[in-house]
Amino acid sequence: MKFSLNPITAKKLRRFRQIRRGFVSFTILAVLIGLSLIAEVLVNSRALIVRFEGKWYFPTYGAIIPGRTFGLDYDYATNFRELQARLEKEPERGWVLMPPVPYDPIENCYPGEFFRPRAPSFAERHFLGTDQLNRDVLARVVYGFRNALIFAGCYIVLTYLIGVSLGCSMGYFGGRLDLFGQRLIEIWSQVPFFFVVIIVASIVSGLGGMNLGWLLGVVVLFSWTSITWYMRSVTYKEKARDYVHAAEVIGAGNTRIIFSHVLPNVISTLVTFAPFSVAAAISALTALDFLGYGLPPPTPSWGELLRQGTSNLSAPWIVASAFGALMLVLVLVTFIGEAVREAFDPKKFTIYR
Amino acid sequence: MKTTKIALLAALSTAFALAGCGKKETPPPAAGASTSGTAEASATAGDTAKSAYPGLEADLAATLKHESNFYVIKTAADIPTNLAWTSGPDLPEFADPNAKKGGTLNFYLQDFPRTMRTIGPDSSGGMRQYLLDYIVMGLVLEHPNYPGQAVPGLAKEWAPVREERTMYFRLDERARWSDGAPVTTDDVIFSFYFHRSGFHKLNWYTDFYSKTWEKVTVFDKYTFALTLAELRPDFDTRVAGMTFYPKHAMADLGPDFVEKYQWRVLPTTGAYTVREEDIDKGQSVTLTRVKDWWARDLKYYRGRYNPDRYRFRIIRDHDKALEAFMRGDIDIFQQMTAVPKYWYDTLPNNHPLVADGYVHKATFYNRIPRPDWGLYINTAKHLLDNKDVRWGIQYASNFDMVASQFYRGDAMQMNTRNDGYSWRVHPTMMARKFDPVKAREYFAKAGFTKQGPDGVLTNDQGERLSFTITTYRPDIRDIMTILKTEAIKAGLEFNIEVLDQSTGWKKFQQKQHEIGLLAFSRSPELFPRYWEDGHGSNAYEDAYIGPDGKFVEKFSDGTPNPKPTRVRPNTNNYTSTFIPEFDRLIEHYDRSASLDEMKALAVKMEEILYEEAAWVPGWAQPYFRCAYWRWVRWPEGMNPMLARYADEFFVHWIDEDMEKETRSAKNKGQTFPPGIHVFDQYKEP
Repeated sequence: MKFSLNPITAKKLRRFRQIRRGFVSFTILAVLIGLSLIAEVLVNSRALIVRFEGKWYFPTYGAIIPGRTFGLDYDYATNFRELQARLEKEPERGWVLMPPVPYDPIENCYPGEFFRPRAPSFAERHFLGTDQLNRDVLARVVYGFRNALIFAGCYIVLTYLIGVSLGCSMGYFGGRLDLFGQRLIEIWSQVPFFFVVIIVASIVSGLGGMNLGWLLGVVVLFSWTSITWYMRSVTYKEKARDYVHAAEVIGAGNTRIIFSHVLPNVISTLVTFAPFSVAAAISALTALDFLGYGLPPPTPSWGELLRQGTSNLSAPWIVASAFGALMLVLVLVTFIGEAVREAFDPKKFTIYR
Repeated sequence: MKTTKIALLAALSTAFALAGCGKKETPPPAAGASTSGTAEASATAGDTAKSAYPGLEADLAATLKHESNFYVIKTAADIPTNLAWTSGPDLPEFADPNAKKGGTLNFYLQDFPRTMRTIGPDSSGGMRQYLLDYIVMGLVLEHPNYPGQAVPGLAKEWAPVREERTMYFRLDERARWSDGAPVTTDDVIFSFYFHRSGFHKLNWYTDFYSKTWEKVTVFDKYTFALTLAELRPDFDTRVAGMTFYPKHAMADLGPDFVEKYQWRVLPTTGAYTVREEDIDKGQSVTLTRVKDWWARDLKYYRGRYNPDRYRFRIIRDHDKALEAFMRGDIDIFQQMTAVPKYWYDTLPNNHPLVADGYVHKATFYNRIPRPDWGLYINTAKHLLDNKDVRWGIQYASNFDMVASQFYRGDAMQMNTRNDGYSWRVHPTMMARKFDPVKAREYFAKAGFTKQGPDGVLTNDQGERLSFTITTYRPDIRDIMTILKTEAIKAGLEFNIEVLDQSTGWKKFQQKQHEIGLLAFSRSPELFPRYWEDGHGSNAYEDAYIGPDGKFVEKFSDGTPNPKPTRVRPNTNNYTSTFIPEFDRLIEHYDRSASLDEMKALAVKMEEILYEEAAWVPGWAQPYFRCAYWRWVRWPEGMNPMLARYADEFFVHWIDEDMEKETRSAKNKGQTFPPGIHVFDQYKEP
């Protein structure tokens, strides 16, 4: 099947590309996301390549390699920085190629020394310094970003799935479903979001531990309502259009009409909201982590880093890194959101000027 | 959508700071708090009485009549004549009699007190120490430099009769409540009645006041006797902390005590009280020195309780409190013990305030039973019931790193759970040090021989060597992270679970945890306790089955059940320890009247516990630390030996001239010699 864009969509995308600020932001964010997906290659305590006594090793992905493999006297995961230092003295045995930032987000980078934050140092490749447990801040920012993205991605899919289905149904069927559905959602959306999340989180963590899945479920449970309002009203509007009647006449079922006919015509609403939902998801995760109700330690997260930073103001690189990263991503997302909104603005394409 | 969320977040973080702060400023969760928690959960005693309560006088009279075995009323003629009355040994004072009175000392609390009651729900918050524990006069005082030695308090003299398990007391006729009324045996009877009544909704007190004592005998207005149910080596100081409630000020006492007395400040026998106008809800509470306090010139009390006023403002965050301290709004900052970064990073010795001598820093080595921080391994759980696994965990837990690198070498790893008593519980026992190789040997013995792709050991059944460590102390999550990253070297995976206080506490009480990282705080007692957290009957409902097939409390009547299955909830045996031989020793120990015998038993018991390996020794700090402005003055040596906190014994005072001098010197840029003090006269060798 030949893939071709709807001419209107193509026009919208062209328009998006013309909005410079949004498009540049989009490019930067896309690059960041791309890099975070291969973070193991860039920021990791595991070596990229090890050449040891005539054998090649690629430890980045897969099972840990015990120290004994390389003639070290322990069975746990090899400390490749140590190995590198050792092999530099005996180059005939081999060599180690480390990633640009040779630290992982949970390791203690200064074994044998006091736990206290250390300032950024290019010589030691701690580009953003270390935190109060001697962990590399950059590594925590990078992996925290990836966790936030995974969270935001799942959040969007789930909230939109629930919100769009319910919103469209209410708008399309109307009547009692609409009347009572609306009232129920009104009540549900009055539940104080964060408070309930915290209460549920504290119960859930007693039932076998908090993880990304639980956290997502809890947050989604209280976040799907807002999108239903928009979906309901746009569906309501679309339903009166002739093409819907035409589809009905042909004999299309309700599901088919909603998902194949109505939905593509209201997609611009969704697309416009999506970037803001990403921002909301990242903020929610960060807030929960900040308050200590997010992912269990030592999972890298921006909220945890922010909390550390605010209680270690004498180590400003921690709070600056977390805050900077959060601000950068939220600003990028907002710029993209604005551009998308403008590009998809129905007023530009409507005949009712 | 975004704006509402941000607003919500802001509102919530404030609301949460209000609700979520730790109740206590003390580092360990108090064992006392736990017991009161049980009591709160099951408090019903007061409710049944509600319907037919005839009023205090009538009910008190009826109770005295009905329980005449417990409340024995006699006459002055009945006081035995052959009693050896004593006022305790003549010991040195621990305060400075020349301390200056006056001034206002500024402190902070994290949470506004939820009640002004000193008993009942919500009364165990940080304020209680300043309403009751540090302030109110006890019947006698255990001299804080001579554990086990009593000196006068409300009682001016007393006469122990060991063979009758009875202590006779004569109240000091000078003793006054802060409203001027004398303290008499009416208050003693009333206090027993009140504690046993259940009006305070805490069954722990009801229980304690019913089971510890066999009877109270009153002879006249000032003379009475207390008879203990059992004779123990701490007989002389058993009553030290006993305090009373003023009968004359509680005439409307009844089943509605908790609500009625929520914000009422009762007359006190101590040096400080709270005036009604000084309760500024949500903002601050101020203590005011009682005018002409009756004990102000008595030995052991003169030179103490010096400032006129103590002002507690509410600062929810220790970091902010430290900022306020450095600005001069708070006079003493005590949080430096628990959080090393305050001592080393935020207010280091070369900080201008310290280097210029405006602020002094002090480390005081005390000698008190240490909070027993450590890993409580629940031996009732699968895999953890295997002793080799537990031995492995002992070697895989790097508390040495916690002590030396997290606490920067100031803390030390504990050796037994009962370190810090006035005698060393086991003279030679040492904790097992972190050793991944040895840990792997023990794990291998338990069948964990293969290493999975994530570095975690597995056994032949494919089970991973992975356990969850639970805590309800968010402030130690960093320590858990350290344990986790180190344990993996031994092929052991720790998952970290940080719960809020009530959820976590419940989980431990239900024995649903695998491993707990926590501590019980201990009040300075003469000897450690083993029954609460070590006896099999506190681990399993069916640990001991009597001849009739029913559970019996005492081991000698029953037979140990080789395979008990029903875990017993709501006890402090968080390790589910059940060793019949050990239980027999505990029962012997708990009935022993000789301290020497108990010491010998304790050595044996510690050895059994070591072998059982269900508690991994954590860290202990043998000192407290604080920073204070130079106008806060201390006696020579700063504090007595048993002091847990700088202000516990109220031996400090404020030099108001010095305060003026310091503040003006600071403005002018004049400096003083720096004061970084170490008081190690009580340091354990």
